[in-house]
Order: sequence, then structure tokens, then C-alpha cells
Amino acid sequence: MPEFKWRWAEMPQYWMSFVDGLLVTAQLSAIIIAGAIAGGVVIGAMRYSRRRIFNWPATAFIELFRNTPILVQVVWFFYAFPVLIGGQLEPFLAAVFGIGLNITAYSAEIFRGGIQSIERGQWEAGRALGMSYLRVMRRVVLPVAVRRMIPAFANRMIEAVKATSLASTIAVADLMWQGEQLANAIYRPFEVYTSVAIIYFLAIYPLVLFTYGLERWLRIEDEVQL
Amino acid sequence: MSEAILRVSSLHKYFGDHHVLRGVDLEVQRGEMVCMIGSSGSGKSTFLRCLNFMEYPSAGRIELMGKVVGRESGARDGAPTYAYEERELVGLRTHVGMVFQQFNLFPHMTVMQNVMEGPVTVLRTGREEATERARENLTKVGLLDKADQYPSRLSGGQQQRVAIARALAMKPDVMLFDEITSSLDPELVGEVLNVMRDLSAEGMTMIVVTHELGFAYHLARQVLFLYEGVIHEQGTPDEVLKNPQQERTKGFLAGFTDFYF
Repeated sequence: MPEFKWRWAEMPQYWMSFVDGLLVTAQLSAIIIAGAIAGGVVIGAMRYSRRRIFNWPATAFIELFRNTPILVQVVWFFYAFPVLIGGQLEPFLAAVFGIGLNITAYSAEIFRGGIQSIERGQWEAGRALGMSYLRVMRRVVLPVAVRRMIPAFANRMIEAVKATSLASTIAVADLMWQGEQLANAIYRPFEVYTSVAIIYFLAIYPLVLFTYGLERWLRIEDEVQL
Repeated sequence: MSEAILRVSSLHKYFGDHHVLRGVDLEVQRGEMVCMIGSSGSGKSTFLRCLNFMEYPSAGRIELMGKVVGRESGARDGAPTYAYEERELVGLRTHVGMVFQQFNLFPHMTVMQNVMEGPVTVLRTGREEATERARENLTKVGLLDKADQYPSRLSGGQQQRVAIARALAMKPDVMLFDEITSSLDPELVGEVLNVMRDLSAEGMTMIVVTHELGFAYHLARQVLFLYEGVIHEQGTPDEVLKNPQQERTKGFLAGFTDFYF
């Protein structure tokens, strides 16, 4: 790299853009995660059901959104979906749908897998005590299943935060988008994108540490051998 | 004074095309112990599991405490079929306790919580009374000192005794035991059988699927030998275990007595 001059000193003065972007990224992530947990529980339960009216739509939803790229979904919701409904969709909303539904589909599978991991004997023991289906689910199956699915859930949520960067392609003003704008404005792609990467890392790494802690905590509880 | 607590007639069970139970009749008096023996695949566990509707019978009548379970809905194999409502079965199961081969204790609950779960959440017994009852039942199985342990800390024999206490806490009228010593190390079998013997002495009605022939011989009032989904031989322990009339029964028993010492 001949004659390339680093200009790191310029970066801090643009901190407002980075903060603005980070806030949007956080907002987008929070909404997607909340939606994915709620939606994942419902769709996962539907997928677990043996009744076709629940099972089929859930399976179709999961397979559809799991097996198309997130970027394609984001772009589809922004450019194609409005044609279908005959109106506009805010970029932010399109991003929530595009990324969120994909994460929801994965969450649903994690949820279903967690429930399915519970041995049949646990169901039978609950039922033999005179518990209804829902009571066995609530008292016996879920308390154990949820612990088993937490690590996978946490990983998926971290994936979700990273995936929000794709929203920049439809001009959602998240951290990635702010970086692009800045890089184009000041012609310093190296410093800008490096800064963006570092900020993402600093935001996400604590989440990862949190999941490590969570897993350790679950393992201690695991002396209960789940 | 004998009172039939359970009457089963022409019980059939299919798993798909597989005809597992081919018309089983049984009458059990209150307070008696019935032992069912037979090789695996003979249908004895399936029969037991039909009695508290872990499996739904395909045909045949089950009468529990004088009440026929389900509504008659047709006929199959010359026996009436019944439609069962979940609500009725859920209520029925509070009267019929079951203990499983694999213990099936709730791993996220302590021993105490395991035993209190049924009374508190299903019977709506107050906490205080449920605690009291749980302590009684844990004392009965000799495990009160383990009340605050999690199941994974206990030996197989201890877990199985907790499972018995958990079933007892519901104050059942009948208890079903599904090969409950079969997955235990040999030296742990005795402690579980002792608890069952005490229960029987107290007058608990018990239907026991077991390979512990000595236990069956000494404690059962009736012994049933199941073979290919029917009761092949039935009678007192002396009749079935000491003087079997059927070749199949003799053959089955030979497997146990050939290496007697």
C-alpha cells in the first residue's frame, strides 16, 4: 500500500452518524426479536400440532421463509409486496417483515424441536396424574423444553442483529447505511467501514458473552440433568 | 365384602393392522393384587396401559368402580366399541395411579415438588395439606430425607420409590405398575418390591406387570399369563406358577426356573 495515509483522526467527528445508525439497528433488532419470539412460539406450536389446519400452514410458512435468502425477502417486501397490496411500504417496515419472518421461521423450528425433545414418558407421567394436555404442556414439558432451546434461541437472535444490516439495501438508515453514506461523502471507505465493523462487533460481542453466561448457568442447573 | 373395582370384557387393541389384544376379560376386586406375566410382545403392558387410557382400547368394555367408561359407539370383533371423551378420561386418571418402567419423574422439580404436583395442580389441594400428604407418602417409601433433592441425584431404586409416592399422593383407588423393576440394577429391585408389598398389605388394589415371579408368587391373589394378546392361563399363584396346565405357560416359566439354585 504505497502512500496510503490513514485518517483515523477524522472518524470521531462523525460519531453522531454512527450513533444514529446504531440506534436504528437496535430498534430494528428489538422489534424483530420480539416478533420472532412471539411468532415463533405460535407457529412452532402450530407446527408441533398433528392437526392439519395448524400443521400445514405452519410448515408452509417455515419452509418458505427458511429457504429463501433474507436479502431477497427484504427486497421483495419493499418492491414487490406493495404491488400486491397496491400501496407503499415504509422501508423500515419492509425490513421488519423481510428479516423478521425469516428469523421467526427459524425460531419456530427451535421451539418445535425443544418441545419434541421431551421424552414421551414425561407426557405420560403428567397425563397419568390426571393433567390435561395444556397442563402437561405448561407444568411439565415447557419448563424443561424452554431451557433446552435457550442456547439455540440466543444464537438465532444474534444472527438477527447481524441480518439487520441488510436493511441498508432499501435505505433504512441503520448503522450500515450510515456507513455507506459517510464513506461516499468523505471518500474514506477503509476507515469508515472498519469503524462500522468495529461498532457492530462491540455491540454484538456482549450479547455473545451473555449467551455464554446463559449456557453456563443452564449447565449448572443441568445437574438436574435435563 | 368383595366388590369389583374393575371389570374388563372383550378388550381388543390394534396398532394399525397389528392385533395386540385379542379379547381380554378381567375382574379385579378392591384390595387385591393381580400380577400379569408373559413374554415381551404378549400384550401385557398394552393391556395395563388401556386401563388408564394411555392407550385407547379398539373395542371392549371397561367398567371402573361400577361405571362404564366412554359411550358405546359401535362394534368390532364381536365386542362393543366406545367413544371416549378427554374430559372423562382426565377425571378417571386421578383415580388410577400409574408407575412406569422408566420412572418418568419430572427432572426440573425436587422430590417434594414431584410428589406435590398432582395434588396441587390437579386436585387443587391446599399447599399445606399437600405438603403434609407428600411427607407421609415419602415416609412410606422411606425417602423423606431426599425431599429436597432433584431426581437425577437419586439411584434408580430411589427414583422409582419417589414415582410410587407421586402416584400415591393422588389417593388412587387402583394402582397400575408397568414392569417397574425391569430397568433397575438387581440389587435395587428389593427396595422397590418391599414398598409394593407394604402397599398391598395396606389394602391397595394393584395390577402389576412384572417379571419378578417370586414377588407374584408370594403376594398376588391372581396371576394371569398373557400369550399373543389373550389370557392364556389364569388362577392363583399356586395354580399358574407351580402347576401350570398349558404348555406355553410351562415353557415361559422354564426360562426362569432352569437356572434356579
